[in-house]
Amino acid sequence: MDTFLQVVANGLLLGALFAIVSVGLTLIFGIVKVVNFAHGEFLMVGMYLTYLLTNRLGIHPFATVIAVVPLLFLLGALTQRFLIQPLMSARDDHIQIFATVGLSTALINLALLIFGADIANTSASGLRMPLQLGPVRVLTGQLAILAASVLLVVGLQRFLNQTQTGRAIRAVAQNRAAAQLMGINVNRIYILTFGIGAACVGVAAALIAPLYPTSPNIGTYFVLTAFVVVVLGGLGSIGGAFLGSLVIGLIDSLSGFYLSSDLREVAVFGVFLVILILKPSGLFSGGRLNLSHVSP
Amino acid sequence: MKLSLLCKVAVAALMFSASAAKADVVFGALYPFSGQLALLGEESARGLEIAVDEINAAGGVQGQKVVLMRGDAVDNNQAIGEARRLISLGKVSAIFGSYSSARSIAASQVAELSGIPYFELGAVADEVTGRGLKFLYRTNPTAEDMAKLIVEMIVNKVAAKLGKKPEELKIGIIYEDSSYGTSVANHEKKYAADAKLNVVSMQGYPAATVDMSSLVLDLKQRGVDVVLQTSYSNDSVLFLQQANEAGFKPGAIIGGGGGYSMQPTADAVGHAVMEGVLDVDFTQFLVNTKFTPKLEEFVAAYKKKYNENPRSGHSLNNYAGAKAILEALNKAKGFSPDVITKAVNAIDVPQGVTSVGYGIKFGKNNQNERASMMGMQWQGGKLVTVYPDAAAIAPMKVGGK
Repeated sequence: MDTFLQVVANGLLLGALFAIVSVGLTLIFGIVKVVNFAHGEFLMVGMYLTYLLTNRLGIHPFATVIAVVPLLFLLGALTQRFLIQPLMSARDDHIQIFATVGLSTALINLALLIFGADIANTSASGLRMPLQLGPVRVLTGQLAILAASVLLVVGLQRFLNQTQTGRAIRAVAQNRAAAQLMGINVNRIYILTFGIGAACVGVAAALIAPLYPTSPNIGTYFVLTAFVVVVLGGLGSIGGAFLGSLVIGLIDSLSGFYLSSDLREVAVFGVFLVILILKPSGLFSGGRLNLSHVSP
Repeated sequence: MKLSLLCKVAVAALMFSASAAKADVVFGALYPFSGQLALLGEESARGLEIAVDEINAAGGVQGQKVVLMRGDAVDNNQAIGEARRLISLGKVSAIFGSYSSARSIAASQVAELSGIPYFELGAVADEVTGRGLKFLYRTNPTAEDMAKLIVEMIVNKVAAKLGKKPEELKIGIIYEDSSYGTSVANHEKKYAADAKLNVVSMQGYPAATVDMSSLVLDLKQRGVDVVLQTSYSNDSVLFLQQANEAGFKPGAIIGGGGGYSMQPTADAVGHAVMEGVLDVDFTQFLVNTKFTPKLEEFVAAYKKKYNENPRSGHSLNNYAGAKAILEALNKAKGFSPDVITKAVNAIDVPQGVTSVGYGIKFGKNNQNERASMMGMQWQGGKLVTVYPDAAAIAPMKVGGK
């Protein structure tokens, strides 16, 4: 029984990790309608920033969010303004996907050039301490990720539902043309949204860096699962992405222990395919691709 | 008038190139110099360059200066393209390489078809020499040698230090599931069965995993005494950290090269956690130099040429292999493929006289049958050689003994 509880706890903590990475991706996807293939590399950039600030300047990894989040916001906003926006009018939407794939490759190789292929290890400052909670053993850093992912999801929901800017963002997501007629500057909203999405992954980076060795390819480790989560959660639903992450984390952990670690990906993607066939709009989505389900 | 001038220029050019060709013999150096594998690709190539410098300083090969022509094998396709370029445009007499097994397999096929000898100095996969190519030779030890030594170490040393008979130990084999991890793990399984070891768990995982907690829990539940992991950097770090945090402390952990031999891995894991972890890989630098004569001279030459310490044993192994081949070619007459293969087939270097310790004699499929790896252990933040005894500089410390 204790083992089962530990496996479940591992799954939920892994799910929280996927959630914190996926939230920004789902936001960008739901509103700007761009599949950001460079999302994992944004995470990687954030992790290197955390690494530099922590190891070179001695700042606690959590405190680095003060710098990492604004810098990632800037990176996201610039990407939207100078890479995606000029392509928004292109006849084929897929061209934006290719642009983000290009950005992803460029960022990986830039990191290789600057940091080399070796791993960079962010100092953990007590975040790797095991805690015994009843029968279950967890790390302080993992609990922090769980707490932060809940806060991030709740915070984003409230922002989108209760602020003027949030309403404008939702209006653009629901009907771009009508929003424009109501006097909303759609391009500015897109830049803002892309920035917020990237800023979310900045929060993730600061929390993940102390727990995982950073390397130029680290983004690809997380991002494939993040895409699954976004689709499973219902394409653009923030709450859905969170629940979808927990589901994926649990399947991953349970199948890894009770079947075999070779079969984890088979299990995750098998369940994913079955859910898609049964409910093509995603597990937690009521209807078609829109953001209406963001509101409670 | 103009035509005769053109003729004179052409004749002069021909004579110049003929005289240049007479003075130099060109070999290809095919490694990944850029891209993902650049760091250790470059490190490997440096060993070859030092061997060439030494041979040139001693008068060259057959009185000719050796010139290396670089080919950058960024990926498998480019490895093929660069092998073609070296052979057709560079007119190389042989190719040396290649660090990456996949690149080596692709490029050596091109060389084989052109009848150009290909000397593999650093790739470990079975298939490199397993294809029975006529012109491909490999000097370095392989994935199989790695597995063989790991099992030998368990039987000869680790078991006794843990106070058990070898067959009483519970062995867990974990490996990243690409060709590297899979081939080492399969050899481990085979040699373990031959030695009657009890393998209780054998699990692959994708190298790009972000969580090994289920795997760690499984090994812990089964009461595994010795964990064998074949891995790259990230997954080595992940396993060692998560095992430590889950309170899983097996009697011994033995890594197979890759991440386990790298200083950044030890730094990332933390030296306290890394202390006592064993590793089997190519000969490294903290080794008894009575068993690896001239190793110190190699390190000095490396420092002089590149202004830093060698970053891994890759350069050393490439150096030792290249040196033996170049010395053999020096005794031959000419550089035609048949002359070259005849010369290298005659190489007979015993154990304990090269800078890597192992001897060189090509056996079945042109694999160096005397190649072997060494057993290392992380002690005090450094990777020191502990096995075999003749090469060790420190005793192996397992289970407090």
